[in-house]
Amino acid sequence: MGLPAKFDVAVVGAGPAGASAAYTLARKGFKVVVLERGRAPGSKNLFGGRVYSRPLERIFEGFRNEAPIERWVKREILSFMTEDGMVSVEYTSNGSTSFTAYLSKLSAWMASKAESAGAVIVTDVRVDDVLMENGRAVGIVSGGDRLYADVVVIAEGVNRLLCEKMNIVTPLSPEDVALGVKHVIRLGTDKINERFGLDSDEGLAWFLVGKATDYMPGGAFLYTNSATVSLGIVVFLSHAVREVKRHVYDVLEDLRASLPFVRLLEGGSLVEYGAHLTPEAGLRMVPRKLYGDGFLIAGDAAGLLINLGYTVRGVDMAAFSGYLAAEAVEEAHSLGGYTSQNLSCYERKLNDSFIMKEMKRHSMVQKLMVKGHVFELYPHVLVGAAKRLFEFEETSPKLLEAVNDSLKGRCSRLRVLLDVVTLMRGP
Amino acid sequence: MPLDMVVCVKWVPNTQVVNIDPRTGTLIREGVPSIINPHDLNAVELGLRLKDSYGGRLTAIAMSPPSAKAGLEFLIGMGVDRAILITDRAFAGADTLATSYVLAKAIERLMPVDIAIFGQETIDSSTAHICAQTASWLKLPYIYYVVDAKLGDGKKSIVVRRVLEREVETFELPLPCLISVAMKSNVPRPVTLSNKIRAKTEGLIEVWSNDVLKLDVNCIGLKGSPTVVSKSVPTPVVPRKKLKFEGTDPAEAARWLLDRLEEEGVKVV
Repeated sequence: MGLPAKFDVAVVGAGPAGASAAYTLARKGFKVVVLERGRAPGSKNLFGGRVYSRPLERIFEGFRNEAPIERWVKREILSFMTEDGMVSVEYTSNGSTSFTAYLSKLSAWMASKAESAGAVIVTDVRVDDVLMENGRAVGIVSGGDRLYADVVVIAEGVNRLLCEKMNIVTPLSPEDVALGVKHVIRLGTDKINERFGLDSDEGLAWFLVGKATDYMPGGAFLYTNSATVSLGIVVFLSHAVREVKRHVYDVLEDLRASLPFVRLLEGGSLVEYGAHLTPEAGLRMVPRKLYGDGFLIAGDAAGLLINLGYTVRGVDMAAFSGYLAAEAVEEAHSLGGYTSQNLSCYERKLNDSFIMKEMKRHSMVQKLMVKGHVFELYPHVLVGAAKRLFEFEETSPKLLEAVNDSLKGRCSRLRVLLDVVTLMRGP
Repeated sequence: MPLDMVVCVKWVPNTQVVNIDPRTGTLIREGVPSIINPHDLNAVELGLRLKDSYGGRLTAIAMSPPSAKAGLEFLIGMGVDRAILITDRAFAGADTLATSYVLAKAIERLMPVDIAIFGQETIDSSTAHICAQTASWLKLPYIYYVVDAKLGDGKKSIVVRRVLEREVETFELPLPCLISVAMKSNVPRPVTLSNKIRAKTEGLIEVWSNDVLKLDVNCIGLKGSPTVVSKSVPTPVVPRKKLKFEGTDPAEAARWLLDRLEEEGVKVV
């Protein structure tokens, strides 16, 4: 028995980036093989719970009708939490730009689309190395088996061991990533609708900072699926290791047992528990070059995720980078080969797309987010001001007085001003 | 001499993840992933070792619902050359007699076959009937609990060993014959990437319905199955006595414990 037929493209990873690349390439007529480490596509994926829809609609035909969407987000809450109370900003609308989902199901759906488009998906395969010959990628190595392909799309996820081995990136440091831990709690559709004030197709996305994470940089989230609720926390790994007095999962347990969640989730049963790393370093985590002779890098491996503090974008960015990688492969093919120079159009496509614009636009937010004080200070300032404002006995304070009183002894106005400037300033 | 071999496998619910319904005491099979019967993998491995030694071809056969295709792809990943999935509603509800009849007819259809290999038993029914019954239908010799095999001097026979409690037995059987492989012998090899890709791309799985085999419907499926499950009794629950020693002296505690054991009929010497 000889080696199996050679493929045009080998894609490492069947997550959102890999599946989108494979789907797009297979539809363009390329012979594609996808190598997935998990037992099934999606089995290694985990996220908070919300996806921005538009980029996926551009990639997948019939996305809105076919994809395993749980609820469209119609209600957003951002809360600042301390021991004393909670200040929330709420927004309700009739828009449908993002939805809640199980990432394992969504990834499996994307992979099934790629498979029906003609891509070969092989699961339970660990790719050990990108096969290099004369400085160019010519395939992959798995358990001593070699598989040749003209070009390799590396969509291996946040723990980018292949990129490390290829000396494209340095090993992750705790400052670059956050640890996400979440519970999926079954409540039933009716209870969810009642308790969160939703209709059956309406979803809630709730982001919390402050006490929710024991004031560690990061945040907590709650998303409503059809019959379940995802409750979780994301904390910067460096802080989780250095500052946390207890295990991160204990912090999550505490959150679930505290008000208002203990009431909102009463009677619910835990059906799933998961933890995953997410890239958080913004542009700093993006490899210097996202392409080379015979290969491209997409998705979390390329560090393409933004955490804005009130929402997180990862899945749509990963999927769209996979899509652009596919376009770049096609363009390089038409130029006569997968040289680094021909594949450089990938970078141009990324720069022209919303992905890099978003990454650059929000780089200052990410800088602010890693400053520990933000997560302790502002929840206290806001809750303190609200307490002054709403809990008075005889004289009611003016709004500005309440804020000033709350700031007093906590920090200088200059500090606040500096933070605001950091936030407003462009890259 | 290259060997033409078949290995018969069963697609079974993974009993390690099966939950028991606390009310009825029966297995909950819904949503339980199926796997190739683990003891059959030892049979596949023995077949692959024979193929490594003498060359030839190993064909896997499964009589199962269509979902077994994933399991057959796994076997091709290990190195099996091709697979036959016998699937038809008409075969459903078969006991070991009806199953062995279908397998015998399938092997007949594939003749000439030198060796048909089976796992010792399945994890979901543990009858260990199939190899013997299939051999009876085919009127061929068979042997159980095989741990290794090699061809005889004239290449017209196979020499097998089986390990019993106090001795190792060696047998020589004329080809063609059937062998049932001892569980835990012949540790299955890992799948390889190139074989997995072959399984996905080369169309190595044939599907046979009863339109292909054309078997008498009275001999297959539920109709061809005389076995009747008369009654299934849930395991009795032994109530715990929940006794507690209230004290602190270790010697006294030991004495107390021995007394309780004696009360239960344990002889203390």
